[in-house]
Amino acid sequence: MRSASDVRKLVLGIAGILVLALVFTQWTQASSPATVALSFLIVVLLVAATARLWVAVTTSLAAMLAFNFFFLPPVGTFTIADPQNWIALFAFLAVSLVASNLSAVARARAQEAVARRDELGRLFDLSRDVLLITDSQEASSRLAGFISRRFDLDYAAICVPGASEWIVHASGPQELVLDQRELSTGFASIDGANPAAGLRSDAVHRMLTVGANVVHLVPLRLGTKPIGLLAAGGRAVEPGTLDAVAGLAAIAIERAQFLDERKAAELARQSEELKSALLASIGHDLRTPLTAIRVAAGNLQATWPSEQERREQSDVILSEVERLTRLFQNILEMARIDAGAVTQDMRWVAPSEIVEAARGRVEHALRGYAIDLAVEPERLVRLDPRLTSAALSHLLENAAQYAPAGSTIDVRAIVQDDGLTIAVRDRGPGISPSDLPHVFERFYRGGVAQRRRSGTGMGLAIARGVLAAEHGRISAENCSDGGARFTMVVPAEVK
Amino acid sequence: MNRAASILLVDDEVAIQRAVAPLLRSRGYDVEVAATGAEAVIAVVDRSPDLIVLDLGLPDLDGAEVCRRIRKQSKAPIVILSARGEEADKVEALDLGADDYVTKPFGPEELLARIRVALRRVFEAEAPEVEAVQVADFVIDFNRRRVVRGDEDIHLTPKEFELLALLARNADRVLTHHTMLKAIWGPNAVNQPEHLWVLIAQLRKKIEPDPSVPRYLISEPWVGYRFSTEPGSAAR
Repeated sequence: MRSASDVRKLVLGIAGILVLALVFTQWTQASSPATVALSFLIVVLLVAATARLWVAVTTSLAAMLAFNFFFLPPVGTFTIADPQNWIALFAFLAVSLVASNLSAVARARAQEAVARRDELGRLFDLSRDVLLITDSQEASSRLAGFISRRFDLDYAAICVPGASEWIVHASGPQELVLDQRELSTGFASIDGANPAAGLRSDAVHRMLTVGANVVHLVPLRLGTKPIGLLAAGGRAVEPGTLDAVAGLAAIAIERAQFLDERKAAELARQSEELKSALLASIGHDLRTPLTAIRVAAGNLQATWPSEQERREQSDVILSEVERLTRLFQNILEMARIDAGAVTQDMRWVAPSEIVEAARGRVEHALRGYAIDLAVEPERLVRLDPRLTSAALSHLLENAAQYAPAGSTIDVRAIVQDDGLTIAVRDRGPGISPSDLPHVFERFYRGGVAQRRRSGTGMGLAIARGVLAAEHGRISAENCSDGGARFTMVVPAEVK
Repeated sequence: MNRAASILLVDDEVAIQRAVAPLLRSRGYDVEVAATGAEAVIAVVDRSPDLIVLDLGLPDLDGAEVCRRIRKQSKAPIVILSARGEEADKVEALDLGADDYVTKPFGPEELLARIRVALRRVFEAEAPEVEAVQVADFVIDFNRRRVVRGDEDIHLTPKEFELLALLARNADRVLTHHTMLKAIWGPNAVNQPEHLWVLIAQLRKKIEPDPSVPRYLISEPWVGYRFSTEPGSAAR
């Protein structure tokens, strides 16, 4: 603790005393002991005002000895003849010691105030940092980083009890391994010590020695409930400040958890909405085929139908079963897209094969429509043919739903160096401008006039979801000469 | 029933048309099909069918509107095809003059039974005003305001008799809460269904052999009540 500057001040102080003694003995013969004592006191006070207490005390003792030696008779010895001079000597010593002490205390107060201000500043910075944490996944590690940076700590860690062992999010230049058992005992000791019971908060701080380092363990509490430990090592930080830091850290963790919960609640709400939209949408699309199947099956059981009527009724059943199958396929596809379970299976394939596969998937819907197909140039592309044809099939089905029966659906596949573009154009009524921004939203069905077009409002949303899994995109537009055009772009290698 | 009754089937779903129309024809009805509300209204004017089977979810007009337009042209009974979850539409359509409903998905017999009942009423209405309704040993005599079960005279309050008479005159036809409240208590009471619940409960206590399993006063959940002349219809 005895720094070089303290020693220098001590030397300066003693030198000052000696110089004064020399001045008084050599040049001013008539000086009284009182004058000398007061002059010495100035030196002692100067030293006390700038240096530590021990420097001031040593200087005081040196001044006392010099006073005795040079000025109290018999001069030149450390003995004192007149008892009155004993009193003078000790009075001098007492005054200089008290003065030194007062000065040292004042200085310590000032230093403490500066340190406090400094730590308050750091705490303030930390509180601002804390507000930036929004993700609870990384909240603890980011928090540890902020604490070690703001408080210049070599080591800072947020320790949270996990399922089997402690989860330690550490930060700072130093890497320490905290003993699991020590953490557990440190954590257990907080439980007993309730700060509300009037116990000083730092009474529950624990010191932990890890190698050459001392680490403070400070409880993190939410209200009175302990949730973990803050470990701080390196620079010494006031216990009160550490408590404040721990308080901030606990708030930050709670806040991140709260944000998470809000996000989860928001997601739950969205999924609720989705579910009711799904129910409303499939409610109708489920009931109609079921009714038709039930009535047709009843007809088949009866004796009245002729052979031709029987065929007609079984045809109704088959096509409605087909419709239900498609509905369930769509629901499953949507669920897979939602779950992020759509994976790509890349292979080299000819664009015309993709179009053929897509047509095959929705053959029933395309009955009664002419398909005008053009592929240019016919080059191999590397992509997931399953996903691409699925997306295209939904575009074809959509076109067939809105175009008048017997009309032509144009399919144009264009291979460019960076991928495959397929455009599907129908001769339907087109998309009204107000619907255009929403056509890819699930369960969105254009316009009131078309509310009963058979369809689930899922096809285009599925096409978009599938394409997104392929890093592709989809767009819709109205053609200048009528009808709608949907264009899908799939990035791919091209041979 | 000398001639074959004619039925107009209104549904935009081809599958329903293909399944239901042959079913109705097989029972000797003369069937016309319409796919939209507008077509239906035109067909009602052109063909004046004896009965209309109307799907509530048409592409061009909502079900209540179609009912209203048909009622302007024709008094023929309307049997509604509705989906669960469309209760509000259904009640509105019934209030606007529809006679009965079948909930999808329905079976062939269910639809045929509703059509039979509705048509019977048409042909009975051509007969003189009924003076009494008799179901097994239960008799309601409208002129003498008497209700008898077996040998037992059942005493009813005037309101109870009024409600029972209203239901019995429309036997086997569902009456909405709205219709009954308006008829018995007046237009100001239509939003106070509790009147109806209380009165129905009292009536059931007096006339039903077992009030907990009503045989005559059948509740149509969320819609209304019907006076049933068909044994076993409580199971519906």
